[in-house]
Amino acid sequence: MSRMMEFATPFSTLSTSLGQDVGWLTSLRKEASTYFKQHGLPAKKEEDWKYTSLQRLGQVVWEHTSKDSTILAADVEAVKQLDDAYHLVFIDGVYSDVYSEVASLPAGVIALPLSESLDRVEVSTHFGQQAIIDSPGLTALNIMLVSEGAVIILDDNVAIDKPIELVFINTGNTSDLATHLHNVVVLGEGSAVDIVETHIGLTDAAYFANQITEVVLAADSYLKHYVVQQASKAAFHITHLSGKQAKNSIWQTHSVALGGKLARQDLHTQLLGEAAHCVMDGLYLPRGEQHIDNHTRVDHAVPNTTSEELYKGVLDEKGRAVFNGKVVVHQDAQKTDAKQQNANLLLSRRCEIDTKPQMEIYADDVKCAHGSTVGQLDEAQLFFLRARGLTELEARNLLTYAFVSEVIDQVTIPELRQSLTTLVEKSMPAVAATT
Amino acid sequence: MGDQVDSMTQQIEEFVPSEYSAGFVTDIESESLPPGLSEETVRQISAIKGEPEFLLEWRLKAYRHWLTLETPEWAHVDCPEIDYQEISYYSAPKQKTDGPKSLDEVDPELLRTYEKLGVPLDERARLAGVAVDAVFDSVSVANTFQDTLAERGIIFMPFSKAVHAHPELIKQYLGSVVSYRDNFYAALNSAVFSDGSFVYIPKGVRCPMELSTYFRINASNTGQFERTLIIADDDSYVSYLEGCTAPMRDENQLHAAVVELVAHDRAQIKYSTVQNWYPGDENGVGGIFNFVTKRAMCKGESSKVSWTQVETGSAITWKYPSVVLQGDNSIGEFYSVAVTNNRQQADTGTKMIHLGKNTSSTIISKGISAGRSQNAYRGLVKIGPKAENARNYSECDSLLMGDRCAAHTFPYIEVKNPTAQVEHEASTSKISEDQLFYCRQRGLDVEDAVSMIVNGFCKQVMRELPMEFAVEAQNLLGLSLEGSVG
Repeated sequence: MSRMMEFATPFSTLSTSLGQDVGWLTSLRKEASTYFKQHGLPAKKEEDWKYTSLQRLGQVVWEHTSKDSTILAADVEAVKQLDDAYHLVFIDGVYSDVYSEVASLPAGVIALPLSESLDRVEVSTHFGQQAIIDSPGLTALNIMLVSEGAVIILDDNVAIDKPIELVFINTGNTSDLATHLHNVVVLGEGSAVDIVETHIGLTDAAYFANQITEVVLAADSYLKHYVVQQASKAAFHITHLSGKQAKNSIWQTHSVALGGKLARQDLHTQLLGEAAHCVMDGLYLPRGEQHIDNHTRVDHAVPNTTSEELYKGVLDEKGRAVFNGKVVVHQDAQKTDAKQQNANLLLSRRCEIDTKPQMEIYADDVKCAHGSTVGQLDEAQLFFLRARGLTELEARNLLTYAFVSEVIDQVTIPELRQSLTTLVEKSMPAVAATT
Repeated sequence: MGDQVDSMTQQIEEFVPSEYSAGFVTDIESESLPPGLSEETVRQISAIKGEPEFLLEWRLKAYRHWLTLETPEWAHVDCPEIDYQEISYYSAPKQKTDGPKSLDEVDPELLRTYEKLGVPLDERARLAGVAVDAVFDSVSVANTFQDTLAERGIIFMPFSKAVHAHPELIKQYLGSVVSYRDNFYAALNSAVFSDGSFVYIPKGVRCPMELSTYFRINASNTGQFERTLIIADDDSYVSYLEGCTAPMRDENQLHAAVVELVAHDRAQIKYSTVQNWYPGDENGVGGIFNFVTKRAMCKGESSKVSWTQVETGSAITWKYPSVVLQGDNSIGEFYSVAVTNNRQQADTGTKMIHLGKNTSSTIISKGISAGRSQNAYRGLVKIGPKAENARNYSECDSLLMGDRCAAHTFPYIEVKNPTAQVEHEASTSKISEDQLFYCRQRGLDVEDAVSMIVNGFCKQVMRELPMEFAVEAQNLLGLSLEGSVG
């Protein structure tokens, strides 16, 4: 496979100070670095990057250290999705002791920056173990240059009273800043937690976030995982979420993508134990010149596992979206039940959607279905609302909101649901009067 | 005791998968070029056929382009490397005269072959209302119903003949839908194509019968490279049938055909295929490699092209009959049943390229995999920026029989116009135990029950086939799946 080798050069001379004395990390890095030097970033020729080009990303000379991470306390408060939660805050890729609040965590729960938990056996066991599979160039780059990340570990049978929110802020103080964060989330048997990831750019600065989150769910554990992406309109925001699920575990992911010039999320789960279940919900709202790409993959590796997926997109102006959902049912994974749905609403003449729901099935006693639609607002519904006195814009916004609400309604944290509703409403064209 | 053994033997025999019933080799002397491919081969083929200069030039351009290409590897199939120098690119049955003028003059050996295959060539053909342009290996040897067609100005003849009779039409349309630059196999075909069918329906003419061609691969080591070109002028209608069988043998045989359809204003073309080439034995030895490029151009406004295919044969199938919807209000349809058993691999589907306004397309694809086979649907629905109010509906269902087979779905949807409505649905399941139980309880044996359920699953597609084809296709489905459940 030919990749754009020249992309590799500006990165391959870099290094990072994190964990230089930690044996497992340095050897992993060496491996990643060898790989990256050989393959570079994925090129458009590769099937998984058919509709998303990283060419412009490769042309920028990225800054790898933040020069100035000063931020107002009020700004940090403002960007948090939740007040009533534990917080780990990262500013320009650096962990912030000042703004993080994890002191009052209950017993059996650990939430620390990666730099302070490299000696933990959970970290050395699970770090970099799953993420290799997809988008290998970017993964290798992340492991090569990883500087920080969040580590969350729950002991067996621990349920936590409040969600944990991870806040990743780009201040815009350093132009063309690249960050490579790597999070590790390990849930013990029978444990449960809600995690909210907030990604936000405070300005319109260009930056490159290349982030990986690896999740390990032991038997009977339950993770609700929210990702709220509000990267700057000039940012390259690339995230990779990868999970491994033991029997009876549940992983629910809800991703809302609003920001980024080029935003790409790869979400991958492996259902490795019987009765494991995963939910993948997503919302993407590209407008302006945004390009938002969602790739998902579910591996049903053993019998009796289930998955449900719903991704919805609203495309406006010159927005472009890509959806690629893959369901793989492995040999002997009988009684698999997999559902997948992708729906797209096109609001402007210049937007573009490329969607590809995929199934690869190697077992016979299965129920698998996927559907994909592309359409526009219903003229009859618009007329109905106009006849009742709504303006054209109000009517359009109301119907658009109704379209996306199916995804937002799945959010079970009331505070987050409210804040997402506001965010989505704000992303729509402004209505003069109040709606 | 003896009775018990007898009845057991009988039972076993019933469950042993049936042999490929069309597997026999007709012993006729063939006139072949030695294996190998070079510019010289291309020139030789062209010379044998006494082709005009423009065609040779075109072949050579295609050959030179082919040299620059690499074998495509994106399909979900595992294909052994093909040595293109080991294939003989031309083979023609020897003929006593320059060309048979009636059935009596046709080699009786050939006629017997067709009879075994069930080609309605003589009396049966007339009853069935089918005009057959039968391609035996590479040269057409029999044409029927020419008079009936000629009365209406319909041209239906072997490609090699059309080159001389209607060079202006060939020059105008050849490669206009599938360029020789299109893909690896299309380029190869353009360079070395042997023969095929040419159809032209004049303005306002409705072709009074189903036109049909039977292709058959015979001489050992001969790749077949047919080229079919169908042109339907304004307000015309034609229904074309293509059916295939091939004799059983061990070497893999390559088949790379190109089919081009052109529909002008308000013209309609219905193209139906039943493909039953030798799929290889149960261990995947032998069998045909079927790498086909089929494409239709809805050039005129309100034109319509409908592809219907029943694919049960071939070791590897790589085939995507497509429609380019260029004219406003044009319609494209694709109905497909693909059955794979044993070690067969199929990667098939369609492309619907919407360019004109108010264009619509329908895709119904039914995949059935059994044994250790791989069956993939790969399709593209593309709505161009100027295709106002385009509409597509796609449905892809897969049926799995056995826990070692596989079914895949790769639909690509690319929309660049917000007035488009595109829907895609796919499902995968196995034959439900309840359905089987219900049928068995009413006295059907397992094989009959499976055959009935499978035919029900495929009904949406089968009813698109012309009557006489539908019967044949239904029997074929049952035959292909014999022994896969039980």
